[in-house]
Amino acid sequence: MTLWDLTQGASAKVSSFKSNIQSGYRTRLSELGFHPGEHISCVLSPSLGAPKLYRVNNTVYSLDDSIASLIEVA
Amino acid sequence: MPIASAAKIALIGSPNSGKSLLFNRLTGLNQKVANFPGITVDIASGQSLDDSSIQYLDFPGVYSLQAISGEEKVAVEAFTQALEENLLDTVICVVDSTRLEKGLIFALQVLETCHNYNKPMLIAANMVDVLDQHSMQFDPQGLAETLKIPVLPISARTGLGLSELPGAIATANVPPQKFESDIIASDESINHLHAQQLAEQHGPKGDLLINTQTRLDSFFLHSWFGGLSFFVIMYLLFQSIFSWAAPVMDAVEAGIGWLASIVLPVIPVGVATDFASDAIFGGIGAFLVFVPQIFVLTLVVGILEDSGYLARAAVICHKPLRFFGLTGKSFIPMLSGVACAIPGIYAARTVESTRKRWLTYLAIPLMPCSARLPVYTLIIAAFIPANKALGGLLGWQGLAMFSIYLLGIVCALLVTAIVSRSSAELRTDLPFVLEMPPYRLPSWKPLVRNAWNRCKHFVTKAGKVIFMVTVIIWILGYFPNYGESLGDSWLGTMGQWIEPVFEPIGLDWRYGVAILSSFLAREVFVGTLGTMFGIEGAQEDFSSLAQQIQDSGLPLGSGAALLVFFAIALQCVSTLAVLQRETGSWRLPVQLFISYSIFAYIAALSVFNLVELFS
Repeated sequence: MTLWDLTQGASAKVSSFKSNIQSGYRTRLSELGFHPGEHISCVLSPSLGAPKLYRVNNTVYSLDDSIASLIEVA
Repeated sequence: MPIASAAKIALIGSPNSGKSLLFNRLTGLNQKVANFPGITVDIASGQSLDDSSIQYLDFPGVYSLQAISGEEKVAVEAFTQALEENLLDTVICVVDSTRLEKGLIFALQVLETCHNYNKPMLIAANMVDVLDQHSMQFDPQGLAETLKIPVLPISARTGLGLSELPGAIATANVPPQKFESDIIASDESINHLHAQQLAEQHGPKGDLLINTQTRLDSFFLHSWFGGLSFFVIMYLLFQSIFSWAAPVMDAVEAGIGWLASIVLPVIPVGVATDFASDAIFGGIGAFLVFVPQIFVLTLVVGILEDSGYLARAAVICHKPLRFFGLTGKSFIPMLSGVACAIPGIYAARTVESTRKRWLTYLAIPLMPCSARLPVYTLIIAAFIPANKALGGLLGWQGLAMFSIYLLGIVCALLVTAIVSRSSAELRTDLPFVLEMPPYRLPSWKPLVRNAWNRCKHFVTKAGKVIFMVTVIIWILGYFPNYGESLGDSWLGTMGQWIEPVFEPIGLDWRYGVAILSSFLAREVFVGTLGTMFGIEGAQEDFSSLAQQIQDSGLPLGSGAALLVFFAIALQCVSTLAVLQRETGSWRLPVQLFISYSIFAYIAALSVFNLVELFS
């Protein structure tokens, strides 16, 4: 299951990154809080495939499918 | 005290930390671009309003000192190079105290860097006013004791704590301890763990801010209410450029006219009067008229950005625009381009990614700006019958106008879609991870100041180029017969030279002259063509000129070709001048001018042949 599959209101822990993620992206996501073991919740899932809103600690980020689907959650 | 001997204090921080607001607050209007040899990014520099011995330097906002894109690398290198060459005395790392953990991840990297370069630093924990509003607190003293550097709670918005900044700068010290591992080079999770522990120990506790933010997001990003509010906000933005700026634009024109009526009678009749009337007052008027639009749009976009709505609008527009290689933040500059490309180009500063901003610059000049309207109205009036179809529901002229507007938008999206796919460099970019800033009431003073600075930038920088081109075109149109006949002027001669270029689309030299002169501004085409046909005041009354064009036997294909040509060609010196100022070089404007002229010509030629084939 990837972060993109998380429905509105649901939360999960980051388990790993997909192997095809660029190392720079992995570093940046980790710096922003999307690193293995971190608790993430999907606070809003707008319609029509628009980027979803995820909460990490006290910050909300919007991620589109291309990047959220590279983060594995459990 | 001269600025050269002032203490150089660097402000560094992540986007949304309020760093630039703090810089504006500390320096007021007293800003300029710092000139650091070898550093290629713009670093704003300004003398402190309160202490002339302090010079603040605003470094570009970055999320991390570990750059992942070209533009981030340039920004990070600018900072490290300034440290390496000992150009800085102290570093202030600005963090958002409402999201301390995120800020500290970056601050720890800065701390490590300052330790390595033996540079004093302090942390300015911004937005404490928001914490106060929600009765939330954090422990700056405890954080300072742990990190062993000063931590000053401030609010760039209200000015809280800023009086203590000079004192904190004076007591700033080199971070004494090196963490057990090299944070920047090590696994980012170690850095994150440190920040997490520090935020838990000393940071504000509570979810109040996020809960309020989520409630508002549920509304502004709701399928129906979100779409409706987006439509209303964009409509107001569009109205602000078209309607709210219009009375001020009229006042600017009237003011220049009034000044001309006083000055011109004093000048001896002849070349000097004509030069003053057409080149000086006409030339100044041609670019000053944009100032109200630039001011209003900069202010409105600033309000949207400061309030937090711009990030939500970017989320709404991201998916459809991504297909065309753009980002959600390209929408507002492109929409502004429908009124006028110039404020649109300035609005593109909100697009953080250099590549996406570059693609947005490609799209803006193709958006159907209001200067094209007189040209479209004239050509449509000359060729399209005013009668209606479908029982009066559909007017052919209206349909033609809609089609040509649509053509501009389609061309803009097609160009960005093709260009973004043609280069691997443009395909790879920063991922779409957009921080949703908290909603807050805009801070008026910095916004007005920013809008004022933008206008000043336009008048002093782009204005010079526009004025110079105005004078050149005036000279070409005035000499050698001293304004007797435009057809016999050097410009007229040039029109005749280029007649073979426009002949294949059925246009004679008079149209060539009008197209050449419309490089000043597209609407000049109508007035020049009126002069060529011997009609005064063609700009105000299209009908007689449209009739003349009809009577001249110009084929329908030529009319359609002219419409298409003006929809695509970059016939606007002001747009080119502003693009040059914003990109820092003539490369992009020259490339765009040449490629859009060729594109416009080929499209016009194709349309001419197609229409002539079927008519």
